[in-house]
Amino acid sequence: MKNLYIFIVVLFIPWSFSLAKYDEFEDGDDIMEYDDNDFAEFEDVSEDTVTESPQRIITTEDDEEEATVELEGQDENQEDFDDADTQEGDAESEPYDDEEFEGYEEKPDASHSKNKDPITIVNVPAHLQNSWESYYMEILMVTGLLAYIMNYIIGKNKNNRLAHAWFNTHRELLESNFALVGDDGTNKEATSTGKLNQENEHIYNLWCSGRVCCEGMLIQLKFLKRQDLLNVLARMMRPASDQVQIKVTMNDEDMDTYVFAVGTRKALVRLQKEMQDLSEFCSDKPKSGAKYGLPDSLAILSEMGEVTEGMMDAKMIHFLTHYADKIDSVQFSDQFSGPKLMQEEGQLTKLPETKKTLLFTFNVPGSGNTSPKDMESLLPLMSMVIYSIDKAKKFRLNREGKQKADKNRARVEENFLKLTHVQRQEAAQSRREEKKRAEKERIMNEEDPEKQRRLEEAALRREQKKLEKKQMKMKQIKVKAM
Amino acid sequence: PNPPVPHPRYKPPATETNPALEDPTPDYMNLLGMVFSMCGLMLKLKWCAWIAVYCSFISFANSRSSEDTKQMMSSFMLSISAVVMSYLQNPQPMSPPW
Repeated sequence: MKNLYIFIVVLFIPWSFSLAKYDEFEDGDDIMEYDDNDFAEFEDVSEDTVTESPQRIITTEDDEEEATVELEGQDENQEDFDDADTQEGDAESEPYDDEEFEGYEEKPDASHSKNKDPITIVNVPAHLQNSWESYYMEILMVTGLLAYIMNYIIGKNKNNRLAHAWFNTHRELLESNFALVGDDGTNKEATSTGKLNQENEHIYNLWCSGRVCCEGMLIQLKFLKRQDLLNVLARMMRPASDQVQIKVTMNDEDMDTYVFAVGTRKALVRLQKEMQDLSEFCSDKPKSGAKYGLPDSLAILSEMGEVTEGMMDAKMIHFLTHYADKIDSVQFSDQFSGPKLMQEEGQLTKLPETKKTLLFTFNVPGSGNTSPKDMESLLPLMSMVIYSIDKAKKFRLNREGKQKADKNRARVEENFLKLTHVQRQEAAQSRREEKKRAEKERIMNEEDPEKQRRLEEAALRREQKKLEKKQMKMKQIKVKAM
Repeated sequence: PNPPVPHPRYKPPATETNPALEDPTPDYMNLLGMVFSMCGLMLKLKWCAWIAVYCSFISFANSRSSEDTKQMMSSFMLSISAVVMSYLQNPQPMSPPW
C-alpha cells in the first residue's frame, strides 16, 4: 500500500511538471481539436510527448525545446480559435498558412528522432519494485534470528533435562549421606528443598550439608552453553564437555594440613598456575602416577611425598583407575583460597582467607553430545567423593610430616610479608600522618587559647619522647653490633 | 556410609560472587548491542541495527538469572527501535557489503 502510494507520487510529480508547460491547453480536448491534416504530425507528437513524459522521468533538453516550439506554433493557431490566455503572449496572429509550417514538419521529426536516442530508462528503485525478492538480506537476518531463538529453546530444554537426570540418579545417595539436600538461601530455616537451584541456563547448583566432618558440599553442574548458538558453533571447532564441580568444605578439626592434587596433566598444569595454594605449596611439576598404579593420563601434584603415600590407598587407586576418563582434577587443600587474585601491588596487604576444602572436577562422558543416560555413569564418582571426605578426616600426618608442613606454611607467610613489607610501611606511615593532622586540627579548632597552648605542649612532649626512644634504640643496636 | 547427623548446617555461601570468575559475555554483549544500535540510529546504517538486535539476543541467552531484566529489555528495545527507525527513514532494502 505504501509502495503504491510512493509510486503514484513519483508519477504525479513529473506529470504535473509537464502539465505546467501545456497550461495553455485548458482541456485535453484542445489538443484533439487540431485534427487538421497539417497538424496531424503535431498531434501525434504532442500526444506522444504528453503521454511519454509521465513514464520517462528524465526529460531531455531537446524535448523541452520541441515543446516550446510546438507551443509557439500552436499558440498562433489557438488565437484564431480560442481566447485563452497564454503565458508566452508572443503569438503572431497570422492566418494559418500551409507554407509557413512546412519547415516545422521536419524539425519536430528531426528533433524527435534525435530525442529517441538519448532517452534513458531509469531503473526504478528497488523498494518501489514491490517485490519481496529485493529484501533478501532482511529475510536472511530474520531467519537467522529465528534460528537463534529455536536453538535457545532446544538448548535450554536439553540442559534442563540433563540436570534433572543427574539429580534423579544421585538423589538417593545424597539423601542418605546428607541431612540437608538442596537449599537456595532464601528460607530462614534450614529445610531441604530437594531441588536443584538454577543459576543460569547452563549452570545448576546444589547445596548439601548435615554430615559428619564436613561443613557442606556445593555441587555445580556446569553444562555447555547449548542455549547460545554462537557457542554451539564454536564448539564444533573445539569440542568441550560438560563438567560437574564438587566443592566440599571441611571443618577445621577434621582435616590435617596438606595440599595435594590428582588429575589429568593438562588440568594440573593449568591449576598450578591459577590456584593460589597449589602454586605456593606444590612447587614441583606434576609427577606421573604410574608409581602407584595409576594410568598414564593422570598425574600427581603434592606438597610432600608422605601425603601422596597416605592418599593413594587401594580404594582410591581403584576409583582413579576405573574412572580416569571422567576425572579432570581432584584437589585436597587446607590452604584453599580459590584462584590467584589479580590485584594491584598496593592493595595486597593481607593474605587471602583460606578454607579447608576438597575440590573435585569431573567431565561428563560424551564430550558435548551427552544424553540423560550418561548421568548414571557419574554415580560411582559421587561415592568416591564421599569416601574421600571420610578419608580426609582419618588421614593424619606423622610428626615429621607435620613439622614439614608447618615449616612450609611459615615460609609462605614470611614471603608474603616480605613482599608486602613496603606496602605495610607506607600504610603505617600514612596512618601516623593522618593522626598528626587530626591532632593539629583539633588544636586549631580549640577556641580557648589556654587549651590550645596546653595541647600544643602535650603534642611537643610526645614528639620529644618518641625521638628519645628512637635514639635509645639506635644506641642499643650500635652497642649490640659492636 | 555414615548415618546423617541430625543438625544440618547453614545455607549456600552466596554462590561465590567473585567477579574474576564470572563470565563477562552478557555484559560485553549488552554494551556492544547498545553501541551498535546508537551507530545504526545516528549514522542510519541498517546493518548496525541488525547486529545490535543479534547482540541483545546473545546477551539475553547468556545472562544469569540474578541479573536485572530491565537492563536486558532496555537494550532489546533500543536495538529494535534502531532497526525500525532505519527502515522508516530509508525503506530501501539493505545492500550486502560485497
